[in-house]
Amino acid sequence: MNAETHSSLGYLTIAEAAELIQSRKLSPVDLATHAFSRIKTLDSKLNSHLLVLEEQGMQAARAAESEIAGGHYRGKLHGIPIGLKDIYNTAGIRTTAHSAVLADHVPMADATTVVKLREAGAIFTGKLATWEFAIGGTSFDLPWPSARNPWNTDHDPAGSSSGSGAAVAAGLVLGAMGSDTGGSIRGPAAWCGIAGLKPTYGLVSKAGVLPLSYALDHAGPMCWTAEDCAIMMTALAGPDASDPCSAMVEAPDFSDMSSPITGLRVGVVRHFFEKDLPCEPDVAASFEAALDVLRGLGCVVSDVTIAPFSAYGAAAGQISRAEGFSIHEHWLQTVPEKYGAIGRQRLSAGAFVRGVDYVNAQRERARLIAELAVTMQSVDVLVFPGARSVAPKIASDRSLGGAFYNRAFNLTGSPALSVCSGFSPAGLPYALQIVGRPFEDPLVLRVGSLYETATPWRGRRPIL
Amino acid sequence: MKPNISREDFEALVRRAGLTLSPAQIDGLHPAWAHVEQMLARIRTHGRDRAAEPAHTFNPAEFFAGEI
Repeated sequence: MNAETHSSLGYLTIAEAAELIQSRKLSPVDLATHAFSRIKTLDSKLNSHLLVLEEQGMQAARAAESEIAGGHYRGKLHGIPIGLKDIYNTAGIRTTAHSAVLADHVPMADATTVVKLREAGAIFTGKLATWEFAIGGTSFDLPWPSARNPWNTDHDPAGSSSGSGAAVAAGLVLGAMGSDTGGSIRGPAAWCGIAGLKPTYGLVSKAGVLPLSYALDHAGPMCWTAEDCAIMMTALAGPDASDPCSAMVEAPDFSDMSSPITGLRVGVVRHFFEKDLPCEPDVAASFEAALDVLRGLGCVVSDVTIAPFSAYGAAAGQISRAEGFSIHEHWLQTVPEKYGAIGRQRLSAGAFVRGVDYVNAQRERARLIAELAVTMQSVDVLVFPGARSVAPKIASDRSLGGAFYNRAFNLTGSPALSVCSGFSPAGLPYALQIVGRPFEDPLVLRVGSLYETATPWRGRRPIL
Repeated sequence: MKPNISREDFEALVRRAGLTLSPAQIDGLHPAWAHVEQMLARIRTHGRDRAAEPAHTFNPAEFFAGEI
């Protein structure tokens, strides 16, 4: 296989690779060989993988090839290289949360989502970098280096699913699992120029995913396209009795990503990025261009007003801090030196949230959910920029807490998708975020997919 | 931004929480608490109906599916 073919294989979407694999024009073994080769060649620049599972991955690829040759094609994830954020438990395989606290942690069982992906035929390339315990930030005092942005390795990939964003954008994997408590799927999707879906709360099982905040954690896919996220959701979504937060509803149908959206009512949450947390002018210009694309697709675009971003942030902040500390209290008391400075600081703050503040934050959450539900009777989706700016340079002393508009929809549990909406003059990605009603994840993905199809942004990849 | 709580009072909170933090670590955490104070002020002043339930009310059907 020549270098050009190798290069093109790395940049296949899941949908494209699946078509080739099903028609026996592409071998899962060749695809996996290529993925591991790219990881070996390129990941020293990106630090996306904490652990590479080449032996297990190649074994699974050979099994997939044999099954498909025998006429047993499992579906569109069969033979597809996928990475797992290192907070997804993998039986017998180290799962560290990128922290010295869990450096030797080897789970006994797989997360439900890992089981589902394996049953769908996915090939796991390895365990991916994350902010420490999905909260710590881009840090330099952890046992493994932090991931870097493939569009410019001096720049931040965002987090906490930093390795997932970097690995997908760089074509080291075709899809990855992320998690999103305050934007940890959508932030890195935005800054790494890929698609990332925070599904409706409870639609994808969290069983076996190391928790950060029980009320706000979401597990979800990160891929090059929204269509690929839909393919992963087909395998991932559905009830799970082992997850107390499971919505216990059947998975919706994710197969239609192409029906027109003529007449779709799109609500622009303009006060988020003009008043509450103003974005950079170039981001605003890119966003207005994205609105024109949606109008061109037949959408009816109008401004809407919901609660100020700070209202969501205040409630989500208290809930996540209190719940995070309930998980980490013992370790913070007994082995505080094992945390990185940023992770320790962010998690320790939860020690001082009073019980009454936590309860009132949950009551405020209920109010904000009800209020948003009324707004969503007059529009079908909400849109706003995926980030306030393009990815900044990596800096060890900067909090990225105010960089995005993500946290509001962890609080409401709404499905929320980030897709790439262009590039800055410096070649760094812009992003568009699309939010829907609960369980209307397929519509959100379809809007994102049609937007991607109508724009040229999916034709561009980082140069590494 | 400077927090309303004094350094001494904040240190008392740290001790009450069972945390053993170095002076340098408290130096990092104490100013950051100012951001939390802003959020807390918002939560504490919002007028809610007394009957307004939290968002995570117990649903027995999900815990005892098929048994009730």
